[in-house]
Amino acid sequence: MIGYVCKYTPVEVIEAFGEEPVRLDPAGKSYESAEALFHSNMCSFAKGILENILENNVEEVVLTSCCDSIKRLYDLLKGRVKFAYLLDLPRKENPMAADLYRREIADFISTYGVFKKRDFDEGKLSKILDEKCAKGKRRSSAGVALMGARLSKDMVEKIENSCAAGVINFTCTGEERDFDIEVKSDLLRGYAKALLELTPCMRMARNRENLLPRNLKGIIYNTIKFCDFYSYEYALLRAKADIPILKIETDYTDSGSGQILTRVDAFMESTGIKKIEETKTKKGYFAGIDSGSTSTNAVIIDENKNLIAYATIPTGPKAIESAREVFERVLKNAGLKKEDISATVATGYGRVSIPFADMTVTEITCHGKGAFFLDGTVRTIVDIGGQDSKVIRLDDSGNVVDFAMNDKCSAGTGRFLEVMARSLGVPIDEMAKVTEKAKEDITITSMCTVFAESEVISLIAQNKDRRDIIHALNKAVASKAVSLVDRVGRKGRYMMTGGVAKNLGVVRAIESKLGEKLIIPFDPQITGALGAALIALEGKSG
Amino acid sequence: MDPVRFYSSIIKRNIKRPEKVEKLIVRGLSIAQLYVSLFKDKRLPESLQYLNAFCIKSVRDSLAEPQNSAWVNIFSPTEFLIALGVKPLFTEAYSSFMSGFFIEDDLIDAAEARGISNTLCSYHKTFIGAGELGILKKPRFLITTSTACDANIPTFRYLSNKFGAPLCIIDVPYKYSKEAVEYVKKQLLDLVKVLEEVFKRKPDIDKLREIVRTENRTRALMKEYLNYVGQKSFIPTMTFEMYMLFASHVFIGTGEVLNFYQKLLRDIRNAPEKRGKSVFFVHLPPLFEKNFKEYFNFSEKYHIAASDINYDFLEEIDERDPFGGIAEKLILSSFNGGIDRRASRIRELVEKIKPDGIIQFCHLGCKQTIGGTFVIKNLAAEMGIPFLYLDGDCVDKRNNQEGQNRTRLEAFLEML
Repeated sequence: MIGYVCKYTPVEVIEAFGEEPVRLDPAGKSYESAEALFHSNMCSFAKGILENILENNVEEVVLTSCCDSIKRLYDLLKGRVKFAYLLDLPRKENPMAADLYRREIADFISTYGVFKKRDFDEGKLSKILDEKCAKGKRRSSAGVALMGARLSKDMVEKIENSCAAGVINFTCTGEERDFDIEVKSDLLRGYAKALLELTPCMRMARNRENLLPRNLKGIIYNTIKFCDFYSYEYALLRAKADIPILKIETDYTDSGSGQILTRVDAFMESTGIKKIEETKTKKGYFAGIDSGSTSTNAVIIDENKNLIAYATIPTGPKAIESAREVFERVLKNAGLKKEDISATVATGYGRVSIPFADMTVTEITCHGKGAFFLDGTVRTIVDIGGQDSKVIRLDDSGNVVDFAMNDKCSAGTGRFLEVMARSLGVPIDEMAKVTEKAKEDITITSMCTVFAESEVISLIAQNKDRRDIIHALNKAVASKAVSLVDRVGRKGRYMMTGGVAKNLGVVRAIESKLGEKLIIPFDPQITGALGAALIALEGKSG
Repeated sequence: MDPVRFYSSIIKRNIKRPEKVEKLIVRGLSIAQLYVSLFKDKRLPESLQYLNAFCIKSVRDSLAEPQNSAWVNIFSPTEFLIALGVKPLFTEAYSSFMSGFFIEDDLIDAAEARGISNTLCSYHKTFIGAGELGILKKPRFLITTSTACDANIPTFRYLSNKFGAPLCIIDVPYKYSKEAVEYVKKQLLDLVKVLEEVFKRKPDIDKLREIVRTENRTRALMKEYLNYVGQKSFIPTMTFEMYMLFASHVFIGTGEVLNFYQKLLRDIRNAPEKRGKSVFFVHLPPLFEKNFKEYFNFSEKYHIAASDINYDFLEEIDERDPFGGIAEKLILSSFNGGIDRRASRIRELVEKIKPDGIIQFCHLGCKQTIGGTFVIKNLAAEMGIPFLYLDGDCVDKRNNQEGQNRTRLEAFLEML
């Protein structure tokens, strides 16, 4: 086998050599081995590919000069694997570029032929290309377009499974390899030209403006840290396109996939293309369970939407046990039995692992539902929980129309405050009481929990007043939250939910940045569970 | 309060009023230019005083006359612009100046708020942010090459799209070959045609040859200068390493830059024999990083020997065929091609200059350089020279961990 990454790789040439070309996907749960050889600030795609090569002892790799990270990956692999080759890929699409790429492909053929001690048969290449003829093939219609940096196969499948409409994959390697080679007199030249004519990735000089088919319902835009190409297109699309766009950031390890799927599901729910099985129950009692990272909450309402009971417990190591426990507790608080509950909806991180729920709905939709039910004037919800923070925008009827969520990082969340409280040696409850500066106005510049912690430690070393440090931390969390608000656009009134809404210092800091008072529900932690219960009653999430 | 900080606080207060900010920036640069011409910094040799005023003026001029300016990246073939009398403004210079005005954070935040990746190089984010806020006025033209940095093409395409100004992309192949030279040469010929249409001025081939001749003379002086660097104690500041980019790249070929190198050579010949320790920088030193400023600016003890980015091409350009010659220059830059090309240039420079240590400041988001960190580290080990790599940001001061950097920098300097 010979591994490759870029779609412009002459894969068919490899096949004509009788070798098996394998598109390498990033691998590994961490980048431990890769980071021993590569600086940690390289893009996670390149690190994941390196991890894959090391883990699986890939001996032959062919790359292109597609991006800075892959070029350096080649520098690193040279001499480390048995065969490493880099094709210089032109960015333009014109006759001279095709000549140049033809030469590159021819050079690759002779180098690989020598390495394999094998002759190249152009007839075989011609046959392979004939089989991949593009003529007569048409693109299927699509509901959702996947764009941006490459998504893992697994993630693409998950998106396809939760989408009721067709999914078209425009990420950098998502396309079918169909070729139209007209001139057969110089096959390699025709092949080089056809490769350069593939749908251009962002690295190419050609514009991608007319890429999108009509009647799209939405775009899921994937970015990865330290991949420079794609955010520009996202920024342009966001400013110009009139269809909903969801931006996600993945890093190819599995660790963030739960959070990403929540966002994908919520996006499908809000654009009306989520596959859902409707249940129709209208009478009795209805339960909502919100299995969060820090707390698990449950709410029971009756058929007239009256709140009967609620309960909150800290989430233990197993989400399912905490869910069972909170369910029993809320039943006890309500004086009801399991059998009295007509329908249960689960939400939150752990929602998929709650077997007794009739339906699962994302916490984004549930928070929207719950908050709007509590106060119909709410248009923006700022939810800061233990591990993530999100901002949800509602329309005048309470439907979720947009949302923004923190990336895979605890910056600006409850966990951030907990870590800082530990550094300061102050109980979290004490921290929550600090609402203004004591002596001076300090600003914490790092939002990263790890960096901010060292900043706090150096502030302690400088003998700064603890209250001022706490005030600075509250401001830091508030500024992260408000930047999320700005991502969906400011619109009052605002409700704050999640555990951090109990922290008066953060609440005041957000209010001062927004210039408006926040509505804080009587128990900000149960909003999601309440929304879930309402959905259980209505039998649908929309 | 220091006058620059004071001025910057006025700019910051007005950040939502682009017209005013733009005026304040141009006025600030005019004042700075006047100031450095009237009150010369006695600590600086004459050549650097000259360069100081030249760089401020060139940024000011391109901002003050957007109709006669073109935005470029540092590797763009500006010879053609100089031949037409068009004023180039390069991303790295503009963003460094904005960091000098202490407003890079606002500009970066503006770019990120539009959806631009927060891990993108801050030279680019600052430039884009200024475009987004309307602080940069529409230029007449944009040129970028694909050299060295993934961000070049998308940044310039994005801004060209936003401002509705024409863009020329020069695709520079990664590998050198005769065909590759022809491929670039054709693009340069096309560029000149477009420039003629846009600026309604006809470029003169003799003028272009003259610029290339000046460029070759300048490079000869540059190489002579390098012969002295290891022996003399020439004490610049980090700012001058950035200013050298004006001289070694964007404005090379102008009479002013030739003049500068003549002065520079005179100054270094007259400089005292080497004392203190010298450090060679891979890529660029962080101008605004507090610890580096403290240790390297005007320091007798530790000084900057050179940065490899200022010596990425040291050959002669063929004067008879300036298009082919410039095409060769673009392809053969040590910042283009595999890391071994870059490493061998660093080796040559280090052998000549004999610095006491090498520092690679890994500018956040610059993958072409940080991806080669361990190769350069091995090279330094092989050459028996202490090597340090530090992570941080040359523009966005918020990304520098000063406490951590300090310990590492000090420990390294103690090793020398």
